[in-house]
Amino acid sequence: MCGIVGYIGYREAQPILLESLKKLEYRGYDSCGIAILGSVARNDGLEGVPANRIQLCKDVGRVVDFEKTIPKIQGGTGIGHTRWATHGKVSAANAHPHTDCGCKIAVVHNGIIENFQKLREALIKEGHLFTSETDTEVIAHLVEKYYRGNLVEAVSRALADVTGTYAIVVLAEGHKEIVVAKQESPLIIGIGDKENFVASDVSAVLDYTDRVIYLEDGDIGVVSDRDITITNNGQKVNRDAQIVLWSAQEAQKAGYEHFMLKEIHEQPKAVENTLRGHISFIDPMARLDMGKMGVLKDILMVACGTSYHAALIGEYILGKLCHVPIRVKTASEFNHYEMALDKTWVLGITQSGETNDTLRALKKAKLLGCPTMAITNVQGSSITRIADQVFYTQSGPEIGVAATKTFTAQLATLYLLALSLAPIDILDIREYKKLIGEMKSLPSKIHQVLDGEERIAKHGRGLAKFDNAFFIGRGVSYPVAMEGALKLKEISYIHAEAYPAGELKHGPFALLRSNTPVVAIAARDDTYEAMITSIKEIKARGPQVIAIAEEGDEDIGQFVDVVIPIPRIDPLLSPFLNSVALQLLAYYAAKERGCPIDLPANLAKSVTVP
Amino acid sequence: MERITQAIILAAGEGQRLKPFTKLIPKVMLPIAGKPILQYVVETLAKNGVRRIVMVVGYRKEQVQDYFGSGKNFGVEIDYVVQPQQLGTAHALKQAKRLADDRFLVVSGDNILEPGTIAPLVTATSNTMLVRKLEDVSRYGVVILENGLIKEVIESPAKKTSNLVNTGTYVLTKDVFDFIGDEVRLTAVIQGMITHGYDIFAQETTEGWLDAAYPWDVLTLNELILNKISSSIGGNIEEGVTVKGLVSIGDGTLIRSNCYIVGPVVIGENCEIGPGVCIFPYTSIGRSVVISPFSIVRNSTIGDNVNIGPGSSIQDSVIAPGAIIGSHFATRSGEATVLVEGEYHRVKMGAIIGNYSDLGDNVIIEPGVIIGNNCRIKAMKVISENIPDGGLVV
Repeated sequence: MCGIVGYIGYREAQPILLESLKKLEYRGYDSCGIAILGSVARNDGLEGVPANRIQLCKDVGRVVDFEKTIPKIQGGTGIGHTRWATHGKVSAANAHPHTDCGCKIAVVHNGIIENFQKLREALIKEGHLFTSETDTEVIAHLVEKYYRGNLVEAVSRALADVTGTYAIVVLAEGHKEIVVAKQESPLIIGIGDKENFVASDVSAVLDYTDRVIYLEDGDIGVVSDRDITITNNGQKVNRDAQIVLWSAQEAQKAGYEHFMLKEIHEQPKAVENTLRGHISFIDPMARLDMGKMGVLKDILMVACGTSYHAALIGEYILGKLCHVPIRVKTASEFNHYEMALDKTWVLGITQSGETNDTLRALKKAKLLGCPTMAITNVQGSSITRIADQVFYTQSGPEIGVAATKTFTAQLATLYLLALSLAPIDILDIREYKKLIGEMKSLPSKIHQVLDGEERIAKHGRGLAKFDNAFFIGRGVSYPVAMEGALKLKEISYIHAEAYPAGELKHGPFALLRSNTPVVAIAARDDTYEAMITSIKEIKARGPQVIAIAEEGDEDIGQFVDVVIPIPRIDPLLSPFLNSVALQLLAYYAAKERGCPIDLPANLAKSVTVP
Repeated sequence: MERITQAIILAAGEGQRLKPFTKLIPKVMLPIAGKPILQYVVETLAKNGVRRIVMVVGYRKEQVQDYFGSGKNFGVEIDYVVQPQQLGTAHALKQAKRLADDRFLVVSGDNILEPGTIAPLVTATSNTMLVRKLEDVSRYGVVILENGLIKEVIESPAKKTSNLVNTGTYVLTKDVFDFIGDEVRLTAVIQGMITHGYDIFAQETTEGWLDAAYPWDVLTLNELILNKISSSIGGNIEEGVTVKGLVSIGDGTLIRSNCYIVGPVVIGENCEIGPGVCIFPYTSIGRSVVISPFSIVRNSTIGDNVNIGPGSSIQDSVIAPGAIIGSHFATRSGEATVLVEGEYHRVKMGAIIGNYSDLGDNVIIEPGVIIGNNCRIKAMKVISENIPDGGLVV
């Protein structure tokens, strides 16, 4: 997982590359680098000697620190990279771009070259000198090996030797173009006026253009300041430019201290936009276009991380409303399992549309003859080309590494799916209408949770002093507890575990102390009484209990230390509101601990490696 | 001398007197006909070529910054400065000192100014205050002139000494910062400058200028704005719908059969209206609003995500976002005495309903009643007194 960028045009490449890299830091940020065709500006005010040599700068650390240490390079063609280490430790030598022996060809790469060890040994035998431990460096040397004056041909031949996944940008001395290629890792070309941009993701180019080409697997492109030529399998192909609906402003912090907090606050809008056009209240109806999915017998959902928690909530809701068997599997595990699938609808959920495990799971399901669906937030992403039917969450770009608004928008899509697949004839139409009405009120109910931010913040700061915490829930609230624990873990580094409330006494009770706070999600459904019983059992062992409960719940206050009130809503929809409260809780715990909230240690936003 | 190209907008205020609307949003973000007040201010400045803006933000500043961003989408460049505590207008202005030009405009972010109102100011060469004649000056500071110069500014005049009021819009030179010191009110600072021999010119305007101070002002502002909208019909209009006059309907909105809409009316995106709903002039409806069959709405503003049950009658009323209203709801309109922040006002209006309030079936609200935020009123109630935030009527 890494971010790559390229620029070719009339402007100075350096500031554009650095700004674009900052936008991609969510993809990795342990080291970064740039290579520009040009000359290092003299600092004595004299005109430098014009040169068109590869000027290479790379180092460990974040882009903001990197840019302060590097010289000004003049030149309008360049490439850049921000890294999340997979092959080789974090070091300046392992940072990209990587070059050939003569430093005349530079490459940035996102993905994994599976046969790099063999290629590397062969190249070393041929006399090539390697300076890093990375898989990427073999590409630079392979291009050098095949280079006879035609860069794109050399890149094509080099890639023919390679197996694995890649998005690459290649820069070479003596060329007025950069060469790009894509295989299972994302790559887009942003189209400008007398300039063009290349990046892993559209957010990097939004400041400059809204017209982009999404490259497809096997594409090799030659990009100059005015032209873009793309071939696939040796044949010239035409890839239409698409207009990106996201604006650069959406990808900025706009006065919030962190992207995560901004994105938490964008949830009413994200949910509203996702529901938009799909539900009607007066003539109660929810509709998602099912395309050619065929007959519904059963559903299997595959996902990772936060998307997996959305799937677990979806399992409960779909099971309740649709009367067909529903299964959920972690995508990485599905790939190791033999599951009985017979025309089963397989739904992959991934925010980025690039999560490697989920992509592989969906491909496997397709091979087994299952119709496939996807829920994703990114148009043109890899999963949209695999699934038979795609549902988009309308969240806008999510930059914070911890998913927030895309999670609630995924939930909104899953609820829409459940309501539109529900056999209305056997449901109580008044209940159905009530549920639709409550769905419509979700944006303003989420607003109400956000309006209580200060109160939640206080309790979040209170959690900061602990090293361990438990989250418990029952029924639909159990996956909500799992998501709450994940949020706390990933941004505040507090060790948190989620348990079904009834399971706590089968072991974890041994861990309860006065310094292990328990967050209890007490939805006002048929699990409520059992939840109160669990809370009493816990309280008897000393921990502080924080309950997330419906406002007006007068009873629960007697049993717990802290109540975070949530607006009244149909308990089936409570996961939306409870999740938002838990996000705020985690955010303020992490803030109190001084954690780097938008870029937590060791994590990258979407995991595009196996 | 060159035209003025910079404005400092005071947009930090909370708007105490505008409760319940301003509990959750800053005063400047109060929506009028689908746009926040502050957007009208920014657009007016841009139309006059004033494109560099320093926005002083404070109360719930994220909402302002999130909406306006760098200003690019509005044709201006915005720098933000923060006034952490909303102490007063001079204190707000002081926060912008380091970014101020030698000569700049100062405008309130919560006043709707028409483009013509500002036009004479952008060519002003010296300290100038924009003043306007008003019938009722009780809410404002009045000014006394002498040879076209401001002689005195009197806040809350005990007796009517002048019918000219200070609109809170100025052209000021950088010298003003020398007079602020610890003073928090801008009028006091201006008075200080006059005392020290500065000339403050008075520029009188007769063009549109409206200030939102009280909840019912929303309806006056709404009327002013709606008179200037252009028709645009998006969404899905079923057969048998009548649309007359200036009407703007947002994308994704569904207007069902037999609705009767007479403009000026603005309806936002993604609403569901009808069948058989009547909407009459000076009505603004937000995003994702549901208006159920056989309801009538006249001279009212309805916020985002409001759900109105069938057979309801709403006039001269303001309903804040997220309110959920049962069937056969009625607001009565008429002369009423309204209590706001300890002061009594005589106004002609219907009801004011705060954010997320939940009203049961057959609720009737007497003229001039203010229902706070998050109130719950059970079915079959007649409400004749204000209900505070979180109030429960059973």
